Amino acid sequence: MGGVEDLKKAVLSQNLCTACGACAGLCPYIDIVEGKAVIFESCGLKEGKCYAFCPRTPLDVAALDRKIFGAYRTDHVLGFNKSILQGRARDSEIRAVSQYGGVVSALITYALEAGEIESAVLVKSADGVNPKPAIVRKRDEVLECARSKYLACPTVSMALEAAKHERGNVGFVGTPCQVLALRKMQISELKPEANKIKLIVGLFCTWALQASAQKCIRDKVGEEKVLKLDVPPPPANILVIQTERRLLEVPLDELRRFIMPSCNVCLDMTNEFADISVGTVEGEDGWNTIIARTSVGEEILHTAIAEGVLETKALGEDKLKHLYEAALMRKRRVLMEMPPEKTAYLLLNEGYKSKILG
Amino acid sequence: MSLFDLVEPGRKGLLMGNEAIARGALEAGVDFCTGYPGNPASEVVEALAKAARKFGIYVEWSVNEIVALEAAGAAAAAGLRALTAMKNLGADVCSDFLMTVNLSGTRGGFVLVTGDDPSAHSTTTELDTRNYARFADIPLLEPSTAQEAKDMTKFAFELSEEIGLICMVRTVTRLSHARGVVTLGPIPKEKRTAAFSSQDLWTSGSSSITCMFHSILHEKMNRVKAKFEESEFNRYTGNENAEFVIITAGTGWLYSLEAVRLLGLEDKVGILKLGTTWPLPEKLVLKHLRRAKEVLFVEEIDPFLEQNVKMLAAELLAEGNVGPLKFYGKKSGHVRGEFGAGTGEIDVDTVIRALAEIKGLQYQPREREYSEKASAVVGSLVPARTMGFCAGCPHRASFLAIKKALQWDGRDGIVTGDIGCYSLGLLPTGFSVAKTLHCMGAGIGTANGFGKLASFGLDKPVIAVSGDSTFYHACIPALINAKWHNANILYVILDNNTTAMTGHQPHPGTGSDVLGNPVLKIPIEDICRGIGVETRIVDPFDLKEAVQNVYEMLKMDGVKVLIFRHECPLTETKKREKKPKVYVDQDKCIGEECGCARFCTRVFKCPGNIWDPAKGKAKIDDAVCVGCGLCADLCPAEAIIVEEET
Repeated sequence: MGGVEDLKKAVLSQNLCTACGACAGLCPYIDIVEGKAVIFESCGLKEGKCYAFCPRTPLDVAALDRKIFGAYRTDHVLGFNKSILQGRARDSEIRAVSQYGGVVSALITYALEAGEIESAVLVKSADGVNPKPAIVRKRDEVLECARSKYLACPTVSMALEAAKHERGNVGFVGTPCQVLALRKMQISELKPEANKIKLIVGLFCTWALQASAQKCIRDKVGEEKVLKLDVPPPPANILVIQTERRLLEVPLDELRRFIMPSCNVCLDMTNEFADISVGTVEGEDGWNTIIARTSVGEEILHTAIAEGVLETKALGEDKLKHLYEAALMRKRRVLMEMPPEKTAYLLLNEGYKSKILG
Repeated sequence: MSLFDLVEPGRKGLLMGNEAIARGALEAGVDFCTGYPGNPASEVVEALAKAARKFGIYVEWSVNEIVALEAAGAAAAAGLRALTAMKNLGADVCSDFLMTVNLSGTRGGFVLVTGDDPSAHSTTTELDTRNYARFADIPLLEPSTAQEAKDMTKFAFELSEEIGLICMVRTVTRLSHARGVVTLGPIPKEKRTAAFSSQDLWTSGSSSITCMFHSILHEKMNRVKAKFEESEFNRYTGNENAEFVIITAGTGWLYSLEAVRLLGLEDKVGILKLGTTWPLPEKLVLKHLRRAKEVLFVEEIDPFLEQNVKMLAAELLAEGNVGPLKFYGKKSGHVRGEFGAGTGEIDVDTVIRALAEIKGLQYQPREREYSEKASAVVGSLVPARTMGFCAGCPHRASFLAIKKALQWDGRDGIVTGDIGCYSLGLLPTGFSVAKTLHCMGAGIGTANGFGKLASFGLDKPVIAVSGDSTFYHACIPALINAKWHNANILYVILDNNTTAMTGHQPHPGTGSDVLGNPVLKIPIEDICRGIGVETRIVDPFDLKEAVQNVYEMLKMDGVKVLIFRHECPLTETKKREKKPKVYVDQDKCIGEECGCARFCTRVFKCPGNIWDPAKGKAKIDDAVCVGCGLCADLCPAEAIIVEEET
């Protein structure tokens, strides 16, 4: 356990804040400002939720696995999983506004309409670049939040707002660090209201950009409304900016300096603690990779398929291999290349390490 | 009800010192009164404002002291009787005009009242304005009692008119705000007519003309000196042959009388009380110096009498018929405050200590345990509370917003403070955000410098803070300078629609004059935008918006203005009939737990929020809470409930 001073020492001074918004949502003395937590007054407490739930304070993967999935993982690369598919929304309107196959928007819309959840915490953007968390209740509100946002966003703060004020079950869509913070809360006795979040859809993630990237993007496209940002799979190495008038390709190397430093220590590309994880399918546009991890995730996936919300097929051998290798390489890179003080938060057993490092 | 404006000559009653000054002006038939609010002088103008309609007097709160003195000077030049009142620092502000109108002179009686504040109870300096009388070489009167305050003010008008020279009356906090018995005199009925024709000339001139006026001033002061020799405001009490003489003025006289009596020194110590302290009534003083062996000076703040009398004694020394003389006072260190001689207020104990030390007497003015006993009694009655903003004060929200925004910004920005309730921005109640405090306008003025130091290695955001009345008073030239030189400054104006600290006087933005008449408003934003400065207006109670705007504007280059506009709750609550009920839901309050850690009572610290240590929960002090609801908005546990009273 630790308090705000430990948070400062272990996370903030190490530049490891993910801007997930967990601490800020729980504490009147912390705000997330342009991609990092700012403490404006010390609470003076030796132990606090800020430290307990931060995704960059000690993470006991084995303990988390057991509490969420009931067992320790057998797959050290993709995490605990029940099924891996590829799929897309059947609703062409959803697909039209979505990043790839529209699975996230379709699942959340379905969960809302089926009454599994009453609201969901998503991220929207008025200008297509600057992200803002939102609580949504209806299909059109979900669709306003479609498409990937590449800038870090304190979505967990909004999830906590929703957990506090929403009467019914809440859904959540977020990055691995955000999901990790919520899971830490859910398994803790300190924050029971986080258990109102009944469906967690995790996004695959390689990195997020700091708020300062906004200016860089704006310098490229001026005031034009951005309709879509996309980083196509390697070896493209570009960011594609689609505005109302044009399609612009920016070399990723121009943007790498804006990557959140906290992303460099993250092992989790496929959102291993979500109920269901969704990402791209390399080599097949217009589809998503779907990993159902918990029984909640598996159930919603199956009913959504049965109700005709999603169209799915098996993920091809080569695509699965590709996914597996990408996730493995990421873990190797973090464990081998990052200085030990930056990865000290990862409490991994020797078995985990040997599986990754071989 | 005060009897200060009753037309009942001969009636006796209690008047506050400042009311007595106002009464003296009424008895002199004052026509024109100006001033700027400031402790301890504010009530002079306020009293005359109350009597304005009844006696046909023109009264205004001017935008600042120099305009006040200039306006009153013009009325006096036109033959009217005019008075201007201000606090000590106001004399600094008006000193430019004072240093020339002493030469140009006056036709009607022209009186400057200055209120000094020894111990700086509500001031940022212990300035002794008597030095201005000597500096400008104008007559100075120092009342000791409320009766004298009235009589000397009336006399000052007569003297001023007779000599053709502005006269100064100097009061101090303990005289201005104490009440004393006054016998009322008649209030004259005749009306004066103002006149200033193309034949008139009113100037201090230039070059040889100025020197000529300067010489005339000296001649006028010689006439004043002759009159002062005969003045009944100067008197000697005690043994005519006493070899030990106290020379004193103002409140020091009363302290001296009491100290001498308590020590039983009536036969040995004589007291020369001077009411006319510049120019000195030299013959009167010399008469006593010739006889004395020892002299003790008792006066507030500076060794003004002490130095002037010593100069006189030096002249006497040349004559060879004086001394040897021993002088005691500030220079010798016998008359001293807590922080040494020439600092702090004096009182009876100060004089007793001085006399006892000089005379080798043992005297304990109070029992040794007095202060412990007193604090034991008081401590049980007074809640433990540091100096702070009132309940519901918008400045608390404003400084919280500034503090947050500075932390967000992370560049260790500098905040320069200014004069008003918000001077408390230096203290914990303002989250110790402000780091400088001097005189009115110095916040934005010094920010002009801090905002230009980037090339010297001090590249930090600079926030200047001032209030609304202070903005009009002294900040506009500095804002223009900042714009002119493109200084990097965010100027935050805390607009609570009143001059709150001095007692809610109107200002150019309030839309009313001193009599409460509706007048044209001169909005702050119009002035700032007229200067070409980007100006935003935010309610600090919308704390998120307030923080966001400070944060954003800190990043913008050049000079920016952010007006935090929210009415002072002391004026706002007077207008409403019902107060919302505010309470803490004891089940929701999480007190010292993580996620709050007593935000309302440990950090926010509105006096309406109080802590119940027994229960470990917050509660509301109903007697203090104004029902603004800001704490309810900020409570992290949403435990504070505001119910509109039906």
